[in-house]
Amino acid sequence: MTQETRIIESTWDLTAYQFKIEADALSLFVKGLKDRKILGRKCGTCGTVYVPGPTYCRKCLIDIDQVVEVSQEGRLDAFTVSLADVRGKAVDNPFISCTVKLDGSDSFLMGVLEGWTDWRSVKEGMRVKVVWKDVTQGALADLSHFQLI
Amino acid sequence: MNERVAVVGYKQTKHTIDSPVARERMVYELVKSLYHDMGITKDDIDTFVLASNDFTDGRTISEVFTVPRIGAYMKDETKVEADGLNAALYAYMRILTGLYNTALVIGFSMAGSEFRVPLTQSYTMDPAYERPRGIINFYSTAALQAGAYMKKYKFTDEDLAQLTLKNIRNANNNPFAARKDPGASVEKILGSRPLYLPLREAHVSTYADGACAVVLSSKKTAKKFTDKPVWIDGVGHFMDTYYVGDRDLLAMEHLTAAAKKAYKMAGIKNPKKEIDLAEIHTNFASEEPVLTEALGLFKPGSGKDVVKSGASAITGTLPVNPSGGPLGANPVNATGLIRLAEASAQLRKEAGQNQIKGAKTAVVHAQDGPGAQLNTVFIVRR
Repeated sequence: MTQETRIIESTWDLTAYQFKIEADALSLFVKGLKDRKILGRKCGTCGTVYVPGPTYCRKCLIDIDQVVEVSQEGRLDAFTVSLADVRGKAVDNPFISCTVKLDGSDSFLMGVLEGWTDWRSVKEGMRVKVVWKDVTQGALADLSHFQLI
Repeated sequence: MNERVAVVGYKQTKHTIDSPVARERMVYELVKSLYHDMGITKDDIDTFVLASNDFTDGRTISEVFTVPRIGAYMKDETKVEADGLNAALYAYMRILTGLYNTALVIGFSMAGSEFRVPLTQSYTMDPAYERPRGIINFYSTAALQAGAYMKKYKFTDEDLAQLTLKNIRNANNNPFAARKDPGASVEKILGSRPLYLPLREAHVSTYADGACAVVLSSKKTAKKFTDKPVWIDGVGHFMDTYYVGDRDLLAMEHLTAAAKKAYKMAGIKNPKKEIDLAEIHTNFASEEPVLTEALGLFKPGSGKDVVKSGASAITGTLPVNPSGGPLGANPVNATGLIRLAEASAQLRKEAGQNQIKGAKTAVVHAQDGPGAQLNTVFIVRR
């Protein structure tokens, strides 16, 4: 089936938008990064450790305020060799995006994995450690990447 | 299958034009306190239905960040991209299936502090004919409707101001309302900033940050939660065409049809006599006579008499929006659900200063779209 169609061109001007976010979890996490620490919150009831740590436990639906520091070493949980960007364009230097479960955390952190030469030799379960930027300033980017140990 | 569904718990936030907490915290505090009041936990809830709108919430799949905050983590959950009373309708139907006995319904909004409601709504207009010209929007549609009603039925600016004042005064006594204007007067309303005449700033609902949560239960489990269930005995949900040019803004046949269906279900033959109060969703004060007449609560064109006689006041024969209605607070998407909560409060004798004596049956109404293009009607009883 076909029909005559036409495109109407207009603008989508919503001007600047504002979005109120909860600062607690992000603030705690980036403050820790500045001091080269990985901080989260632990639920006193079920023991779940969230990194970054929200101020409530989604399992128990209660407020949590116990701040915990977790290890800077952990386990490679899953990874993908990124050969293209989100638009499908090939990237010149393939990199590995991964999820890591740091020892003592029940959450996964996402980042770039380094320390490999042939991605075929990278296996889930390998030990990794956090590598910091030379200068940390209290931003998510302070955590440079994960390195295979 | 379940045959009867009741409101067994309800709670709303104190609405404000600039919430001191983010929406995630707002719904978390509200729902936790509702569970606490009812002496239940999230495990007592079988299904969760949220009302929010990606457009007005400012992100897609707008419930994802609020779902875990209401206790729906690892539970059955869905969202309605419309007013919260539609979410309640979904929840009601889910319970009727017999697959669920309890549902938490929640609507929330940051309409006070985060987005410009009229501007955002204007992008929901018909993209071919209405949006490119920028003439028709929610304000101008309401103004066209208001002007038509006023001309046809000799409803004056003073009448409209008087009607607005009734709602502002009711809102003044409502602890949850965002708008507080103890010094309101007909003169001040008549002198407020003109927007789209005959509509002025004072006639517009108060866009607010806020949320409302309601727990529904089947008859089977209702008595476990409360000895004051508010039964949903009738529902109706009708729409008119989206293109404003194809609609008779005064006739509101779709609302009349929705109301008739709901009355029939509830066994109501004469709503003027059998309904004790109405909580209706007005985005502008001028919609009140149009909507209440389409609901069959007052004679067509009787708006002037209703205002003069005080029939729709708290002390009147058929009070309309004893809570102050959306003129007191309009947290878009929660607004219609708040009508259900306010009506439930009235029927349970929990409406404080605005309590209507002996109220047993209420009609609850919510709308979406320009000029109430889509309407939902509930009949609730104690």
